[in-house]
Amino acid sequence: MDVVKLILDIIFYPPIYQLLLIGLVGSLVVVIFILWFERKATARVQRRLGPYHVAPRVAGFPQLVADLVRYAFQEVIIPRTVDAGIFILAPIVATILSILPIAVVPLTSNPGYWPVPMDYSVLVALAISTVSPIFLILAGWASNNKFSIIGGVREAFVITAYELIAILSILAASATVLSFNFVDVVEAQSRIWFIILNPLAFLAAFLAVLMATSGFPFEIPESENEVVAGPFTEYSGLLYGLNMGAAYMKRFALSILMALAFLGGWAPYTPGEGILSGYLIPSIIVIAKATVLMMAFSFTRSVYGRFRLDQALDGAWRLVFPMAILGFGLALLEAYLGVV
Amino acid sequence: MSVWVYGEQKSDLKIEGAIARRIAEDLYEVFIGPQHPGSGHMRIIIRVDGDIIVDADPDMGYVHRTMEKLSEGREWIKNIPLFERMAIHDACNVTVSYVIALERILGIEPPPRARYLRTLLCEINRIAAHLYGFGIFGVFMGHSTMYMWSFADREVMVELAEKLTGARLTHSYPIPGGARRDLPQDFPDQARKAVRYFRRRLEEYRKIFLDNPVMRSRMEGVGVIPKKVAAELGVVGPVARASGIKYDARLAEPYDAYDEVEFEVPVFEEGDALARAWVKFEEIKQSLRIIEQAVDWLEKHQREAPMHPKFWERSPPLWKKVFEAEGRVKLLPLMANLKLPPGKAMARSETARGEIVYYVESDGKTTPYRVRIVSPSARNAIVFKYIVPGYRVMDLPTIYGSIDYFPPEADR
Amino acid sequence: MDVEELKKRIEEALGGLVKGIEEGKGFIDVIVDLDNIVEAASRLKELGFDHVKSLTVIDYPKENRFRVIYHASSYLDEELAKYIVGIGADVPRDNPRMPTLVYVWRGVEFQEREVYEFFGIEFTGHPDMRPLLLVPQLAEAKPLRKEFIVKEEPIIRVKPPTG
Repeated sequence: MDVVKLILDIIFYPPIYQLLLIGLVGSLVVVIFILWFERKATARVQRRLGPYHVAPRVAGFPQLVADLVRYAFQEVIIPRTVDAGIFILAPIVATILSILPIAVVPLTSNPGYWPVPMDYSVLVALAISTVSPIFLILAGWASNNKFSIIGGVREAFVITAYELIAILSILAASATVLSFNFVDVVEAQSRIWFIILNPLAFLAAFLAVLMATSGFPFEIPESENEVVAGPFTEYSGLLYGLNMGAAYMKRFALSILMALAFLGGWAPYTPGEGILSGYLIPSIIVIAKATVLMMAFSFTRSVYGRFRLDQALDGAWRLVFPMAILGFGLALLEAYLGVV
Repeated sequence: MSVWVYGEQKSDLKIEGAIARRIAEDLYEVFIGPQHPGSGHMRIIIRVDGDIIVDADPDMGYVHRTMEKLSEGREWIKNIPLFERMAIHDACNVTVSYVIALERILGIEPPPRARYLRTLLCEINRIAAHLYGFGIFGVFMGHSTMYMWSFADREVMVELAEKLTGARLTHSYPIPGGARRDLPQDFPDQARKAVRYFRRRLEEYRKIFLDNPVMRSRMEGVGVIPKKVAAELGVVGPVARASGIKYDARLAEPYDAYDEVEFEVPVFEEGDALARAWVKFEEIKQSLRIIEQAVDWLEKHQREAPMHPKFWERSPPLWKKVFEAEGRVKLLPLMANLKLPPGKAMARSETARGEIVYYVESDGKTTPYRVRIVSPSARNAIVFKYIVPGYRVMDLPTIYGSIDYFPPEADR
Repeated sequence: MDVEELKKRIEEALGGLVKGIEEGKGFIDVIVDLDNIVEAASRLKELGFDHVKSLTVIDYPKENRFRVIYHASSYLDEELAKYIVGIGADVPRDNPRMPTLVYVWRGVEFQEREVYEFFGIEFTGHPDMRPLLLVPQLAEAKPLRKEFIVKEEPIIRVKPPTG
């Protein structure tokens, strides 16, 4: 029994569990599921089948695994004209940084299972989440390709506009409880979720995450018909897969932040003692909520087209940014009135 | 290559959409195509100043096949399958004016039944080609649903064409003096069903694409071609009609059965990408009307050989037997060595993308002396040079998709 | 308005420039001198023929000339839209040069480039005289001239192996 307990302790040692198990393995599984769901849902709207031929009995679910294997075994071509060091490092660092926010958020109220001290966890998580776009821009610059540079510049524009909004509106949740502690934020939602108390901030965060993680059809930086693949034009094989995966992993990380800040985290459940009820179950609840959010994101694909860059920025500064500010004001007002 | 300075236009042609500005020193030259998912088989060399395109130079010819020269070495009838290759999904519209030009030199008119059959196939092709255009337009702007829907629904029309002609795409249906085949027995019902289906679907297209706020904001005010400029540049088809020019080869010089069927030509005033999409949308509706009328007429009138009597009387008995049994007119043997009297003729027809013009000159041999083809996309290509500058880089796919440029047709 | 009336109107408008009017099936060709073609085209445009449908060039090697015809029609005048009127001239084969009509009809810009590469006719004053569809090496062969013969690949029938 000691061996089992030892293994469990190692696995559920919070930094390892959150960074490796949820961050790496969990996000991979969720991303695969979301990609499959996205393809199936759009296929449903567009009156076709979607992935089917790999294992029809489970509706083609392993198709994405097959794609992943294909990416992994493709030849990685590094053109002679690129800045090879940055070219290789940028997608790797970007991917790691995309999932890093998961390692600093609480997935339970049990202090024994916090990966880091939680006093400023909202700030830290948001701060880490803003670093990865720099490496995408670097990837574009190192590629030494016109389309990559245009894509990188677009990325910079979109990120500047929408990351700010995402941060501001997630911070609104912490303003409501007058604390930067994520646990306080989640505990305050045990009665009523912030999505109901502060729908403005939630909507702003939803739109901002949708745009900032540039999934189809809001992939302005890498829109196929204008800039081929944006910053990733010169990439191939696994590095390209990483680039593509990084966007989804970042979306997953931000969805977890949103689930904690607006959807009540592990809310209906009260974590108890022990690994099972103190850690595993609440973390699965959070991931499930984040997955539902991501499903909502991916459904927009079948309805909308791509915004033009100037329209997207215009919308950000003129519509979504005031909305986020209003949401923040609403949060402060609620804190002042003591609604929570 | 000279740099075109838009601050100082070299001609009196003022383009209102373009923002007049001197080209800055630090221009960025981007090659859109030919190995680029946002262009077809063509290249557009654009120079951008920030996000604004200041100079665009369309570089065509990647799928050029010298059809004008090839046609000089082929028999008259063999040119029909050749010219079809310009736009295989619009095969009947593209070749019908060549056939009409031949008929003008021969001095014959096809029988009414053949004229109605050709009209029927022309309109089926028109809808299929418009749906193809809609699909490409949609995916260029990141709207994958429009792409999938229109490509799936195009199948209905392609199957109708297959039923009528026996081929899904390259039908080679019109031949000098008539059409190659008569209507199958169960065709009218299937056609009416397809028309009903499309009426319902078009409403859904409008909801998801034309009235979609995101798509509208992408299309409105983009690639505006004012009426005067449109006439000056000589653009054709839906592009011209979206700019307020009421010109349609079916109206100007009615061929086949177009002077007997009832239809309207939708004309819009705005001249932007949205208006061009609406023109195509309304044209599909009109084509459905024409299909209904043509099918009604064909059902009401008695079957006869859809071939000019001059040719039909000289056909071998086996051919007549095949027609009696299957309603199919086999290609007459005399067509293979058809000799045209010396003369020259011109004919135009309205394809989905606009008017196509053939100039045919014969010197009495079994092959043409000269065939000149001017396809609609070739005439619309000039839009890239004169309308695109002044818009943003992200507007380029919108303009490209909205004029429905089709490289194989433009390059010939 | 019928064809005769149209001819009369064109003759009136063009005055003494007209060398001859040839009637084809579905169009009329007005032949003028090469030197007068810009003037004649401008007058034709003033008459209402606002765009060019086809810039047609026919090679007559025996008579040592190219026949260059701008087949124009109208968009804005519905009455004229029914007719295609060509304004043409003969260009000598040994000195293939003619003034451009780009400044009369902007739409012929690409078609003149096309004629330049296929026939080698140079349009003086054209703003951008480059080949359009062909690569420069191919354009030098001037493929649409009659002396250029397309070598068609023969269909080779191979006997199936016996036994």
